[in-house]
Amino acid sequence: MLEIPNLDIFIQLLINGILFGTMYGIAAIGLSLIFGTMRIMFLAQGSMIILFAYVSYWFFELLGLDPYISLFLIVLIGLGFGAGIYHGLFKGAAAQEDKNISLLIAVGLMFLVENLMTVFWTADPRTISTGYTSLVFRPMGIGIPFNRLMGFIIALFATTGVLLFLKKTYIGIAVRAAAEDMEAVTLLGINPHRVNSVVFAIGTGLAGIAGVELATIYPFDPFFGFIFVLKAMIALAIGGIGNVFGALLGGIILGLLESLSSFFIGGGWSDAVSYGVFLLILMFRPEGLMVRSVKKA
Amino acid sequence: MKKDKQVILTALLILAFAVVPFIVDSEKSYLVYSLFLFFCYIIISQAWNLVAGYTGQISLGQHAFFGLGAYTTALIWLNNITKTGYYFDPVTILLSGLVPATIAAIVGIPLLSRLRGDYFALGTLGMGEIIKVIFVKGGSITGASDGLHLPSSVYSSIRPYYWTGLFLAVFATLLIYLIVRSRTGLALKAIREDETSAAAHGIHVLKYKVLAFSIGAFLAGLCGSLYGIYLFHINPDSVLKLDWTLYPILMCVIGGTGTITGPLLGSFFISTVFSVADIYFVQMHPVMAGILIILVMKFMPKGLIGLTQRKEL
Repeated sequence: MLEIPNLDIFIQLLINGILFGTMYGIAAIGLSLIFGTMRIMFLAQGSMIILFAYVSYWFFELLGLDPYISLFLIVLIGLGFGAGIYHGLFKGAAAQEDKNISLLIAVGLMFLVENLMTVFWTADPRTISTGYTSLVFRPMGIGIPFNRLMGFIIALFATTGVLLFLKKTYIGIAVRAAAEDMEAVTLLGINPHRVNSVVFAIGTGLAGIAGVELATIYPFDPFFGFIFVLKAMIALAIGGIGNVFGALLGGIILGLLESLSSFFIGGGWSDAVSYGVFLLILMFRPEGLMVRSVKKA
Repeated sequence: MKKDKQVILTALLILAFAVVPFIVDSEKSYLVYSLFLFFCYIIISQAWNLVAGYTGQISLGQHAFFGLGAYTTALIWLNNITKTGYYFDPVTILLSGLVPATIAAIVGIPLLSRLRGDYFALGTLGMGEIIKVIFVKGGSITGASDGLHLPSSVYSSIRPYYWTGLFLAVFATLLIYLIVRSRTGLALKAIREDETSAAAHGIHVLKYKVLAFSIGAFLAGLCGSLYGIYLFHINPDSVLKLDWTLYPILMCVIGGTGTITGPLLGSFFISTVFSVADIYFVQMHPVMAGILIILVMKFMPKGLIGLTQRKEL
């Protein structure tokens, strides 16, 4: 299995890894923001992504809407949906000391969404294939699939958008402050529910972006969501919690890790490699690889 | 006097469960099968209850130990290792508990010494996935994703499953009850409440955590073994799926974690809901599980046991 690949294949692996990894990154940013203020791992994030992948699939099949156009619609739906989820499900639990309650509500939500999707769309894998699905750019002989490139660009835009939002807007600054110290923020007259619902809205909006990307690149089924959220968690562990750009970078590193290990060691083992790395990082660098100072998690 | 009464009542209840297969037609009745599942659920929920409810270490890797138990049984059986009868052979079942317990101790030492709280939960999740990949990639030894087939011709009746399940459920509950009331139990609860303070009082934190983790794996392995013998076909999708971690959590939480009766109540509640849902709306039962977790967590975060307002044992 361990053969020396020629340079072209190697570059191809790198590109695929980077482009696929941005999706993990986008999901990880959502997780990171929600963890920042709520202190829970929002395990339903993966199922949300798949849900939006199905929504974009429906837009495409039923209305003939191009996925990159429906993206805007889906992000809007995601923002509203996220705020709705927070107010409907997490509002009461967020105020409580015991974080396991919120965590378990997220687990319940994951179960619910996952299985509702199975009922609606069956467990068969779906994918969107447009006229440009197989389009590949070949600058200097290196093949770059168009949809993955688009995914990468959208991910960069989304990350920049989130960063600007956190740095420049009033509510964004409130979100960052809440991640530092929720109690102090409450004392300053900021409504914690507002901060939390904004965070949920952004998290779900990002899930929308990742969902559309996924739908255009990869066949998906309802149960892919859980694997996805695990991968996002690994990306988060690599990048460090509370670091938006780090999360994206963590996703890309994970993508590279997967694409290289599945080539060099063999398909199914790439999962074991990524979880192994995940365990090692948890044990020896729980603050993530990107963070220099240890922040309180 | 009150205590005697409780003991007698419990004994009567167990006896009542034990005679059910004589009263209803055990081969045709759905009741016997659902009670068998109910017993399995009790075993794994008590296992999780010890690790998470009493010791405070949320483990998301129970399904790995469940699967290890099932695979141990299958591998011993197919490779004819212990030269005993295999079908409901106590040695095989016991070994299927001990193998996961040993592995839990081996992986538990690094995990439990370095990871706390959420990180431990995520770490066990990662561990579970790695174990799953090992079994999927195990080639001819583990049968890869198709898994292992046991000779199903030995099956004659569901009754032995039912009674073994009942016995193991009683055993698991009694074991947890005895542990919790012993010095060890006090140490575990002290660790749950405040690890630093427990260590300051001379409790060897790591030792007790690993012990609890290992006993949890032991019980999960026993249950996996029994369930594996029932399935006759052991593959990663059936015995290593995450449901075997999520269901016990669901049952403990719905019943009330950190209590002896909580998981019993929760298992009963959930298995009843599942059985009813299985009959009337087949595809919907995981959906109902999701709705139930959300509702219970939203409206009674202490679980069913919180309704009775009883003090912890």
